[in-house]
Amino acid sequence: MGAHISIPMYQRAIPQRYRLVGQKCVKCGKVNFPPKAVCKYCLSSAEFAPVKLSGRGTVYSYTVIAGGGAPPEFAEIARCKGRYPVALVQLEEGPVIIAQLVDVPEEEEIFIGMPVEAVFRKIYEEEGVIRYGIKFRPA
Amino acid sequence: MEGVAIIGAGQTRYGDFPEKGLKELFAEAYFEMLASVDRGFDPQLIQAAYIGCLSAGSGFQLGQLAPLLMGHVGLPHVYAVRVENACASGGYALYNAACAIASGKFNFVLAAGVEKMRDVSSTKGRYWLGISGDTEYERLAGLTFAGIYALMATRYMHEYGLKREHLAMVAVKNHRHAVANPKAQFRQEITLERALSGPPVAYPFTVWDCSPTSDGAAVVLLCNAKLAKSFTDRPVYLAGFGAASDYLAVHDRHTITSLHATRKAAAEAYKQAGIGPGDIDFAEVHDCFTIAEIMAYSDLGFCEEGQAHRLLEEGVTQLGGRRPVNVSGGLKAKGHPIGATGCGMAYEIFRQLRGEAREPSRQIPNARFALSHNVGGSGGTAAVFIYRRGD
Ligand SMILES: [Zn+2]
Repeated sequence: MGAHISIPMYQRAIPQRYRLVGQKCVKCGKVNFPPKAVCKYCLSSAEFAPVKLSGRGTVYSYTVIAGGGAPPEFAEIARCKGRYPVALVQLEEGPVIIAQLVDVPEEEEIFIGMPVEAVFRKIYEEEGVIRYGIKFRPA
Repeated sequence: MEGVAIIGAGQTRYGDFPEKGLKELFAEAYFEMLASVDRGFDPQLIQAAYIGCLSAGSGFQLGQLAPLLMGHVGLPHVYAVRVENACASGGYALYNAACAIASGKFNFVLAAGVEKMRDVSSTKGRYWLGISGDTEYERLAGLTFAGIYALMATRYMHEYGLKREHLAMVAVKNHRHAVANPKAQFRQEITLERALSGPPVAYPFTVWDCSPTSDGAAVVLLCNAKLAKSFTDRPVYLAGFGAASDYLAVHDRHTITSLHATRKAAAEAYKQAGIGPGDIDFAEVHDCFTIAEIMAYSDLGFCEEGQAHRLLEEGVTQLGGRRPVNVSGGLKAKGHPIGATGCGMAYEIFRQLRGEAREPSRQIPNARFALSHNVGGSGGTAAVFIYRRGD
């Protein structure tokens, strides 16, 4: 079975995956993340300025993935941890990001509205290459 | 615009059929469809076929599945094309077939769907089931579809006071409905306690909140409404049909407690049919996960947003209730052979509206209007159909 996300595909999104670089629409001023060819808010502008997001936000929703619910490339994480939480995080600048939560001692402590901040972590390994990216932890 | 009628429909049982491949499943549903046309039908009249299938692109036959299947049933030269929009592939096949008749270009068109999921290893299955979301972002957070719908469920619980028990009530209801359906994959009841205490998949879901993997096929024969009565006294008319899209990724949407694609598709279908949600006697809706049926109630206009779980508490959507939903057992218990699902819903409604539900215990009496609702992925696409009994 081939790789799920190839190395070139991963590399093309390094600014987003490593540094949370979004795009500020020059027309309506709203921030798109991940990038779009046309602004998803005003649906009319295709001109943007890059903007680095703060990584600060709150949990908008969450789930806890059990071993049986993990995609195969995350099976090892599920095996080691038993299960892992994933959240939709609403950032201060507006965009919502989907990412794993870390440094949460008990999953019962996760709640909608919980303040979180971005951390740079190992995401998973594929094609023999460790892929790094953003996760969130309680702020 | 020309009117559209259904004059025949067939469906395999859904389930685990190691001895049958895509071709055998398709042929079985095709021959049942032909046999269902009351006054007989010469298959050489068929001018076009739209066939929904997801796995053909990633697992088995790589390309040109539709002509392969049509050649298998003796129609090698008709216009034939595969339609793919993940779990809504069958619904989009039906939508395209209906548009082809409505345009006046064709008089007789097949809408079909087929899927062969049980051959796939569970690792590969979870691999390709996840690829119909936003692969680059949702998948890299470690989510499959269960996890994405789980995010919707958690938020819905937060906003509207939904409990895990309400989710389980959907599973219990649909399993109970499937018991009498000879075409269903799981024909046994489950208790609320069992649904709540099953192995966890993605909080708040246990395995009982999730639809199964299934093999199966469904075939529907559409014709120009003006010609329908030459083949049957009891056609079923497609009074309205709508389809719409949304951002694939849930993080791009304005809300995750409602599917915008469903709302837009439903508005289009109701407008064309000239009726409203209150006129619908029963419905087959897309319950790939229990929360999906709950969101469908309000997205289709059966209740106000956030009130869906009240319908479950009051028994409105169970067989014998005011507006039964998923009397077939739904995706949850009838089964969910991805590409076939949208056409299998049309099969169930065709039989029900003609009083042919086979088991008297599951026949909905005196129904005139029905609705089917088929969703792709986590709501990236949706198709809605309104059917009118044609006597
Ligand atoms: Zn803009």
